[in-house]
Formats: sequence, structure tokens, C-alpha cells
Amino acid sequence: MSITAGIDVGSTYTKVVIVNDQGEILARELRPTGFKLLQVATATLESCIKKAGLNREDINYIIATGIGRHQVTFKDVHVTDLTASARGAGYLFPNTRSVLDVGGQTMKASRVDENSKVSSFRMNDKCAAGTGAFLEKTARYMGFETEEIGPLLSTSREPVPISGVCAVFAESEVINHLSLGTPPADIMLGAITSLVERCLQLLRRIKAEPEFTLIGGILRFEAMAKSIGDQVDVKVNVPADDIVQFVTAFGAAILGQRRLKKLAEEQALEASAG
Amino acid sequence: MTNNTFNSADNSTNVFPEWRNKDLKDALCACRDLLEDTSFPTVARWRENGGKVIGHFQVYFPEELAHAAGALPVKMRGTQLDSTHADSHFGSYLCSIIKTTLEVSLSKNITLDMFVSHPICDAARNLAAIWGRNHDYPCQILYLPQNPNSSHSVEYLKDEYSRLLETITAVTGSKVTDADITNSINVFNENRELMRDLYDIKRETPWLISAEDAYALVALSGIIPREEHNELLRWALPLIKERSERQQDRIRVVFEGAFCEQPPLDMVRMLGQSCYVVDDDFLIGLRWITDDVPNTGNPIYNLAESYIERSSYSPVQHDNRKLKEEMLLTRVRKSRAEAVIVAAAKMCEPGLEEQVAYTYALDEAGIPYFVSEFEENMTSFEGIGLQVETFLENILFA
Repeated sequence: MSITAGIDVGSTYTKVVIVNDQGEILARELRPTGFKLLQVATATLESCIKKAGLNREDINYIIATGIGRHQVTFKDVHVTDLTASARGAGYLFPNTRSVLDVGGQTMKASRVDENSKVSSFRMNDKCAAGTGAFLEKTARYMGFETEEIGPLLSTSREPVPISGVCAVFAESEVINHLSLGTPPADIMLGAITSLVERCLQLLRRIKAEPEFTLIGGILRFEAMAKSIGDQVDVKVNVPADDIVQFVTAFGAAILGQRRLKKLAEEQALEASAG
Repeated sequence: MTNNTFNSADNSTNVFPEWRNKDLKDALCACRDLLEDTSFPTVARWRENGGKVIGHFQVYFPEELAHAAGALPVKMRGTQLDSTHADSHFGSYLCSIIKTTLEVSLSKNITLDMFVSHPICDAARNLAAIWGRNHDYPCQILYLPQNPNSSHSVEYLKDEYSRLLETITAVTGSKVTDADITNSINVFNENRELMRDLYDIKRETPWLISAEDAYALVALSGIIPREEHNELLRWALPLIKERSERQQDRIRVVFEGAFCEQPPLDMVRMLGQSCYVVDDDFLIGLRWITDDVPNTGNPIYNLAESYIERSSYSPVQHDNRKLKEEMLLTRVRKSRAEAVIVAAAKMCEPGLEEQVAYTYALDEAGIPYFVSEFEENMTSFEGIGLQVETFLENILFA
């Protein structure tokens, strides 16, 4: 049985997924990325291997992805997060034709073909306003932690408009709303609505088609997925539980299985020829 | 060489001491730093020691002639300088290297005693004339044979080299004998052998040296004395071979299109992060002659004959016996490359024209390729990096 690991060194969190040749997830692990990318990639992998009850030598192939993929020296190969997330989303939801990945500091929309190959993609500009950092900042301005965003949203009755043009300038908008007595939950939902508008702009630019699969850490918040689903007016796929945050690492691990298979085929071909 | 004002065998030719007494990693770092230093400190040190400097434009120049006369041949390959003076001499529709090469001199980042250009394209043809009007030292055009297939081409080139040598010796104030030129041929033959050894490492074990380090090692030969370059390679190559770097599962790629203007080192680095660049035409003029130049007989004839008979290829040399598409395919097969990056410098007519022939040949051979353009002073590589990675991933996971 071949075992592969996908390591997604994201801008906010580093995720590792270990899968077997049946595509089953044996273990997953997540840690804040911080500033020492190689160190966190190594530690997260080791922890994940331990969780899976395996040893380092049991891992037959490692694919690194994410913004820090180049720093992972012990990988077999690296791939872009666009390729990895497309393969991950396509494996979980085979009819996926559009993938929206909203992470801590990036937002990416990809159109994919029936083989989960990326045919078109767009990424957000170099600005935090279209990412999870925008939500985190908004929560922090109001004295809430990131983990409290979900429960807070569930108490909202009506979102208030937040321009979302700039994550820094949003602070003054939040203060204005608070001074007018607006409940923090409605401000938070307003920030989500603003973020969703940015997502829709990206999806329009790639001429997105259903089925839509939504992934990334921000999709942990149900309100986000629901709002996007309402806007595109079709059912959207959201991987269950925390898997939504691991889809890119999972896709990398699945690509590892595919690559191992191809290498074995090539070796067999060479052996039969020689 | 007699009556030389400067003895190139002297210890004072140690113009690049920064790599010495370091481990391999730090020495290679010093090589990259020197390459990116737009003040060209090694050339300045050579001049401070009383040496003469002959600057030569892309692609090929018989450096042995300058070396034999005791001068330092310097490859003028542009640099990442803002073009403040040169823009007034060239139109915006021309390539960058023409402007930055002139800029390097007009801004006094480098000082020459003679400059040689070649009519490889209209812009380069004009460069010598513009250079001559703005400098008070000799500026020459070296007319390499337009038709290398002519039975007279070697004799013609021998005469052209002799004409050039007269001007060089007038600049250096030296008298050059055949023995001096043969001695230089021997120094350069050793250098060619070492460069071939470096490219063997790239082809056979590309994980042992990064693309940018290999590039830097080659490029330094254009700005330091060849004896020092030989010493550097003699020391570095065995250490590179002894490395225990881990082989990664990467696509093997040939990079084609850097025969004249060079991509910035950051772009080479970006490419090297995504694939193994197992062969290329980076600074091909410094590796133009592919075998040893004979060191018996008339040395100038030997140099001319080697240019015609023992040489690589580029879009600006047209030899019916050396079909460029065929030579590219040979380069791909010899290096067991799985794909080709067919690049061209922006506004480079010969390079862009050759892309068409290359891509037809690659299509026919079923070799995947990625077509791109670059500019020596580009600073953002995110877009092209993502495109290259996506291209490679499509091959890897086909």
C-alpha cells in the first residue's frame, strides 16, 4: 500500500493530510504557519505521521503546496495551490467545475474541467480586504477572537453595509456602526456580505459554472457558504466539518498517489523494454 | 606577449578574492553577489592594477585575442540598471540589453579601453556607432561571416580577427606572438572543458546545483580573468559533485532563448525552483566553441576555423549545416529533457522569429513547450512563475 502526504503551507495555517492508495484520509494536522516555514512544515508532518500511527519511512511521496511550498526541502515535488485544490475538490465532489478557495490572506477562484484540471483562474489583488484577514480584523476591532466569529454570526438578524474596500479603513466603519448602537453580530455579518461580494466578482471573472465547491478556512463559517449559495442561486458543495480547510493538502496527497502510480507504470514499461 | 603593460599571470590579477576561504555554499553566494553588483568591482580592480579592458557585445567574441594581448575581455551583457542616459540614444521599441549595455558605460559603472560590437541585428549594428560618438577609445564592429558555408569563410574570418588584433594591440601597447595566442587558447580550452563538466552535472545530476548557481558560475567568466575562473571551477566542481542533495521529482527542462539578452537572475532562480534546467543557451557566446581549439599551427586560423566548425547555434548565425531546430532537438535528447521553455527577450526580432521554427519542430517531435518573453530588468515573476508551474504540473500529472 502506498501512502502519500500533502503539505499545504498556507499564509496563516500549515495543513498536512496523509492518504492511502484508496484515497482514504489516515490523518490530518494543522498548525499556525508563523515565520519559520520549513520548521512548521516538518513539525506538522511529524505530528500527522504520529497521529496516523506511521513512521516517516512509511510515507512514499510528499507533495508540498501553498505559498510556502518552495521552502519545503524534503518534498518530492511541489505544485501550486490552484492545482492541488482543484484535484482535492474534484476528488470529493466529482462534478465540480468551479472552485472558490478563501484563505487567511488569499482568495482564488478556478474553473476546472471534467478531469479536475484548471482551465482558468483569478486571484485577489494584494489586499487583505478580500480574505479571512478582513474578518479577523473586523472581529478584533469589536473585541472578539477569530474562534468567536461563527457563534457571533449565528445571532445576527440583519447585516449592516461594510464597504470592504480596505481592511484598514474598515476599522472606522466598524467604530461608526458601534457608536450608532449596531449589534456586533450584524456588523460581522455585514463584513461577511462584503467578502461574499468580492468572491462573486472573482467567480464572474472566470465565468464560473456549477457545480461550485467552496473550500478554505473561511468556509468554516456557515454564514459564508450560505450567503454565496444564495447569491449564485444553485446548491454549493462545502466539504464537511474541518475538511473544508484541508482540501488543498488533501488534493496534494491525492496527486502524490497519482504520481506514484505513473512512476510505477513508467518503471514497468522500462523494465519490459530493457 | 611582449612589452605588456600588465602581466595576467601575476598575483595581482586576483580581482575576485571573495569566494576564497569559504565553504561551497558561501562561495556560490559570493558568485551571485558579484554577478548582481552593477558596479562591476572586478573590472574596476583590474583597471586599478593597470590592466586594459576590452568590452565585447553579445553573442560571440574571440576572447583569446584580448587575453593574449594582456587585456581583460569583458562580456557586456547589460545589467539591471535604470536607463537614464541610454534612453536618449535608442528608441523605446528596441530591446533592453542595447540600452543597458550603453548605460553601464555612460553611467561610468564600467570603464573600457575598447569596445567591440557585432552586426547580429540592426540595433547591435548601430550600437558601435553610437558608442564611438560617446567615447574616445576605439569602437569596432567585428564582422563574423554572414555565410559560414562559403569555402572562404575561415580565411575571411582569420583576416577579420587579424584586423581586430591590430586594434587591440594598439590599445594595450603590446606585441602579440603566435605563442601568446596559443597560450591563451590553452587557458580557454581548459575553461571550455570545465564549463562542459559543469553542464554535464546539470544534465546528469541537476539536483546537485541550482539553476542560478550554475548560471552565475558561467556568467562570471565574462567579468573575471579566465585563469581565476578556471581556478574557481577547478575548486567548485568536485565539491558540487560530492554534495548529498536529495533528488526531487521534477520535470527536466531545456531553456532556449537567452543567446543575447539575459533573463534576470531572479527569473532563473524562479525557474529552478519548479523544474530542473538541464540544458540551456544562457550566455551561449561564452560557451560558443564546443570542443578544444587546436593548439598547433596558426592560432588565429584555429580560432576562426573553430568558430565555423566546432560551435553551438543561435538565432543570429545562419549555417545551413547547423539547422537550429535540429540542434535544439539534439540538446533536448542529449539532456533527456521532457519539456522546453521557448523564451525570447522582449523586442528581440531574431529571437522572436526563431520561436516559430522551434515550436514547429517541437510540435512535430511531440515535445511539450512553454512560450514566453522576458526582459532583463523585469522585477515581478509571480505571473510567469505560476504559468510555468501550471505548465509543468500538466506534464507531471498528465
